[in-house]
Amino acid sequence: MDSSQSAPPNSGSLPDLESVRTILFAEEQARIRALEERAATLAQTDQEQSERLHARAQTLQAEIDALQQAARSHQEEAAALQARLDQLRSDIAAESEALIPRLTDEMSGMISDTIRNSRDEMAEALGPVMGDAIRVQIRDSREDMIEAIYPIILSTVQRAIAEFARELQQNIDARLKSTFGPQGFFKSLSARLRGVSSSELAIREALPFAVQELFLIQHESGLLLAHHSHKEETNGDSDLIGGMLTAIRDFARDSFGDGSASESLNEIQYGDERIVIQSGRHAYLAAVTTGIEPEWFRGQLRSFVSELHIDHAPALRDFTGDPATLPNLPPLLAELSTNLTIAEETESKPMNRGQKWALAGGGLIGLLLIAMACFYLQFTIALWPLAFSEPTATATATTTPTQTLQPTATNTPIPTMTPLPTATNTAVPTNTPIPTPTPTLTATPLPTVTPVPGNTAVTNAPVWVREQPDIDATAIIAIQTDVPVTVLSQQGEWAEIEWQGGAGLRRGWIPIQWLTFNEENGS
Amino acid sequence: MTKRVIQKKVCLLGDFAVGKTSLARRFVEDRFDDRYLSTIGVKISRKPVEMDEYTLNLLIWDLAGGDDFSKAGASYLRGAVGALIVCDLTRSETLEKLQFYAGQLRDLSQDAVLVFAGNKADLEAERSINEEEIQAVCDQLNGRYLETSAKTGFQVEAAFQHLAEQIKV
Repeated sequence: MDSSQSAPPNSGSLPDLESVRTILFAEEQARIRALEERAATLAQTDQEQSERLHARAQTLQAEIDALQQAARSHQEEAAALQARLDQLRSDIAAESEALIPRLTDEMSGMISDTIRNSRDEMAEALGPVMGDAIRVQIRDSREDMIEAIYPIILSTVQRAIAEFARELQQNIDARLKSTFGPQGFFKSLSARLRGVSSSELAIREALPFAVQELFLIQHESGLLLAHHSHKEETNGDSDLIGGMLTAIRDFARDSFGDGSASESLNEIQYGDERIVIQSGRHAYLAAVTTGIEPEWFRGQLRSFVSELHIDHAPALRDFTGDPATLPNLPPLLAELSTNLTIAEETESKPMNRGQKWALAGGGLIGLLLIAMACFYLQFTIALWPLAFSEPTATATATTTPTQTLQPTATNTPIPTMTPLPTATNTAVPTNTPIPTPTPTLTATPLPTVTPVPGNTAVTNAPVWVREQPDIDATAIIAIQTDVPVTVLSQQGEWAEIEWQGGAGLRRGWIPIQWLTFNEENGS
Repeated sequence: MTKRVIQKKVCLLGDFAVGKTSLARRFVEDRFDDRYLSTIGVKISRKPVEMDEYTLNLLIWDLAGGDDFSKAGASYLRGAVGALIVCDLTRSETLEKLQFYAGQLRDLSQDAVLVFAGNKADLEAERSINEEEIQAVCDQLNGRYLETSAKTGFQVEAAFQHLAEQIKV
């Protein structure tokens, strides 16, 4: 701005002041104007920025709105999904029973395929897990496990018992078969005398005693001195067994005994095998046995160990592992084993020749005695009526042959052997067409029947037929009661008879009293 | 010609968990098992060692260590002609027991051969016994010392071989 143009024209001092003021404030005014312009510019800029910010805010707001909208929609979707999930859960829960069979089928197929294709891998993978699972299950639910496996165990045990019973039965059958004979008879008798039944004896023999292995072991070190086995194949660990047996004996002595050598383990039972230990001073003998130990067994072991120490004590004591320093022990063990086996078998061994002969002789003598007793008894019974009975009509065959086929009854009284006559009640004649002898009270006359050769009769008792009419003559055969015979001849009280034997017609002599003649013969 | 076979009983001695059973297993079966199962009483194994003129059938009695030994272990030492006495290089207290076990065996047999093994040599970082200490003890007990590792097999064969060679036949 030009200051000269703004000063009043009619004032001499005022224009100057104004001019001065103009001059003085011109610069300020210019600065003010510049500031005003700047302020205006700034205001303008601010306005523009404000507008831009507003626009930006609007944009952001729009975006926020959009995002909120999206979030709402997502929430809705999530809610829908949640609802769907809930629905699925409820569906699965509802259909689980239906799903199980389907899944089971699928899984079974998969597992079956895997087992078929990778059997070893499956076993490898499942083995430890199953073992642990079973252990845990047994620990936690013992009763349940027992119930679950009871049928299996029962079946297994039943099978095992059945197997054992069958084997035992076979053994007993075999033993019973051998019992039917003199040997079996004497065994039974022996068992009875000892207070044991035959069945118990059979069971005892069905579980035979056997020595499986013998170990001779040095006391102190447990080193194996000798070993003998019946088995063809041994496990090769006999020296380890020797060591372990010694360790077990030491443990038992230290734990349960007083630590002295006098107390030691004598026996170990393992399954159906028993280890019988016989101690000596420097070595002990361990015998692995099965079955029931006979009473002589330990005595044999004791004798063996004792004799071994008598003969070889220094060698047994000083043994340091070198077998060359030992006597030849294996044959001794083998011999002992053989002796033990023989001794066991002797009880059930068949009899030797001498025993058989003695038994046969004894049997014959017994039979002879029985036969003689029978004969004597029969003879006594037969003579009893003659000796003590009432007088009866006795048919006596006479040596007079007749031509007729019928025997002729004669009334010839002959004295009987009855010492005293007895009264009979046959005083009244009977209606019997056959003439009945009528004995009187005197002299006991007995009607006799005189058999005629060719007469038929039957034996009235079992009787020996002899070669000659003599009691001392050789007996041919015994014939039974009611055997029809034909009387060929008579000599004294003997009749020569002929009868149909198994090998055709036979002849011989029998006392006539053992014949009953047929009625048509006139007897 | 078949070489004669001579049996000899040797023992494995040492405190519990020093690795006696592992050493025996490594020597006899050439295998190692990380699991620790404490030996109850005794475990016997056998290993034939071929010598020039004979085969030495070593019957190795692996005896339970620690408290179990004092119960029945001494009985098991009878008849032993040598022992491998073991300590654990990672546990200094096992070194102190070497003298006890050596004394137990020497009481029964003055001539028994002793070999000492510092086992678990593979665990170098955990080692707590230095070689000078253990060598001093072994010298005092008149036995050779070898560091071993049942896990890696380091010097296991050598320890038993040395024991076998020292046994008089």
